[in-house]
Amino acid sequence: MAAGLQVVFGVQKIFNLACGSFYALGAYVGVSAVGWYVGAGGPPALFIVPLALAGLAVGAVGIVVERGLLRFVYDRDETFQLLMTFAIVLMMEDAIRLTWGTAPRSTAGLYLAYGQVQLLGATAPVYNLIVIAASLAIALAIGWLLARTAFGRIIRATADNREMAEALGVDMRRVYAEVFTLGTALGTLGGALVIPTTAAMSEMGIELIVEAFAVVVIGGLGSMRGAFGGALVVGVLRAIAISVYPELEMLLIYLIVIAVLAARPRGLFGGAAA
Amino acid sequence: MTHDHSSRRQFLKLLGAGAGAAAASRLDAPAAGTQASGPVKIGVLTIRAGVAAPVGAAGLRATEWWAERVNNAGGILGRPIQLVVEEESNPKDTVERFRKLVLQDQVEVVLGGISTGVTLALGPVAEDLGTPWLSWDGTTQRGVEETMPNPKWAFKSVDNEVEAIVAGILTPKYFKGIKTVAGIGNDYSYGHDCWESYQAVLRRYVSDVKFVLELFPKLGVTDFTSHIAAIQQSKADLLMCSFWSGDATIIMKQAAAVGLFKTMKGVFTTAGGVHDSLKKEFTPEGLLLGYNTMYFDDPKGSALLKQFVREYKAKYNEYPPYECDHAFFNAESYKVAVEKAAGPAKKWPEKARVVKALEGLEIESLSGKRSWREDHVQMCNFYQGITTHKNAYDFVTIGPLEVVSTKQAMKPAGSKLFEWIAGWKV
Repeated sequence: MAAGLQVVFGVQKIFNLACGSFYALGAYVGVSAVGWYVGAGGPPALFIVPLALAGLAVGAVGIVVERGLLRFVYDRDETFQLLMTFAIVLMMEDAIRLTWGTAPRSTAGLYLAYGQVQLLGATAPVYNLIVIAASLAIALAIGWLLARTAFGRIIRATADNREMAEALGVDMRRVYAEVFTLGTALGTLGGALVIPTTAAMSEMGIELIVEAFAVVVIGGLGSMRGAFGGALVVGVLRAIAISVYPELEMLLIYLIVIAVLAARPRGLFGGAAA
Repeated sequence: MTHDHSSRRQFLKLLGAGAGAAAASRLDAPAAGTQASGPVKIGVLTIRAGVAAPVGAAGLRATEWWAERVNNAGGILGRPIQLVVEEESNPKDTVERFRKLVLQDQVEVVLGGISTGVTLALGPVAEDLGTPWLSWDGTTQRGVEETMPNPKWAFKSVDNEVEAIVAGILTPKYFKGIKTVAGIGNDYSYGHDCWESYQAVLRRYVSDVKFVLELFPKLGVTDFTSHIAAIQQSKADLLMCSFWSGDATIIMKQAAAVGLFKTMKGVFTTAGGVHDSLKKEFTPEGLLLGYNTMYFDDPKGSALLKQFVREYKAKYNEYPPYECDHAFFNAESYKVAVEKAAGPAKKWPEKARVVKALEGLEIESLSGKRSWREDHVQMCNFYQGITTHKNAYDFVTIGPLEVVSTKQAMKPAGSKLFEWIAGWKV
């Protein structure tokens, strides 16, 4: 999700609060897809396939949101963008509630379908390892996409200098739609993959937004490596805080954000001042 | 019959009718409350969004079930019931909607209120407007101490910490030799109060018990991996958890993933609120699980409970949680109080007489007999027990079932909670 946020911010300079909603949407669609799959008699061991496919497919909602709403605020003040994306958050939350109801949804016991392994003296569910592997694969795939393909070059060029890219014949409308959809799909896929470990709740999107922004600020706005590094920093420090001094848990993330902003305003992995 | 909004036209008509009635009463001067014809309007406040939305839905469903049942049997004193539903959200907006129900919709009574954060504000408003208000799940306690010891119009739910006290009483019975305890609860009044009360009670039974860890993640968190790691590190004999929403399901699942309850005992004071999401695949046997004030699968349950569970399941494909019982009790006790206050003449009574009739009233609710204490606090039973997989469902149920009355587990009117617990003869 942080990766999706970065792609979108980097290229379109839009603060996309709705990323949290896409995450929630992916989670709910994932639960439904798995429910349908198991109901249709699919082998439980392969449940991750429909889960991931559903997560990716629902990313298509990104095109609708981008073409239908966001394109009208590209040249407006950031305030409009924030308001617009926050409006999307509220609408999506209600849409989810209307579609799936208010009770939390979960994939029951499928989380443990792959069993557990002993790692360094601790028990870890295999599914967690699969998700970690999948995240790494996604990170590498995005890295490859940005660094090695023509599409990636266009994206980076647009991020660097939109007018110049446009002057050179890049169709901005298309790039924006593609990039936003990619960012959305990263969010929905993230939501779908995480859902077996937890339960889908209609307000889960809002919960995540703040944390995702902290990750992005710590890592550096618009930097993919930053998203990855920021997520690691937040995750690890949070775990340490909970076991050493639990009262600090909530505060810690913001302390780090303040520290990073004071010492390296562009984030740990942010580029040099333009 | 549920009407979410009355239109402006209806409102104006009502105003006209109200003015007409007022004029008429000035001329003929009959006792107030004689215009007892047409539907009796009952206001309902319920949470529709956020973590507690499923709780609100359960309360509303039970109220609607009750209204349909009463209407089919001829209403209250011959008047059909019309529910006017409004949303419970933050205290300020909910107070406004409460006023709207009373002043604009002119309801006879307001039912509902779940979050004590909100009902603390509703209590004084009910007193101010002089309209009976019966709260499903919210109290007027600040922390564990009562703020409205002598209300006239406000009727409050059971004290929030009772489920933790019951769990504290049952813990030494089922988990002998417990020496170290870790606790996790939501980071707001309810989570902290439950933990404090549970500790105070357990200390009375196990004098050398040590509380080695306390964690308070905020309400709405969906990842407890780090919390569970810390709980494992604490090497406590037992984990006490007061989660009541989707987070109870989530922590159960994430604990199962690392085999937490293979080595640790578990007490879930309130997770029965989401009982049918506690699937057998990840919820072990042998935990102490609290269902609050109603257990849907009570082997000694009444025909009324069995009918309700059957019809609830058929309509919503879920098994009802305790909030249904709070809501049913409130609505049904109002009906019985009206009929009692009406007397043999069956004349629709004034609100003040209904309130008097409610005090001390005992009626048959879904979970069995429930009553209103003289100081307007609900009296009822709490249902807790040890989780088992031996049932026909895909989720856990409890057996043996323990039924503990508020007469034993709730502080008496006017007393201070911790002084009262300290005075127990154990």
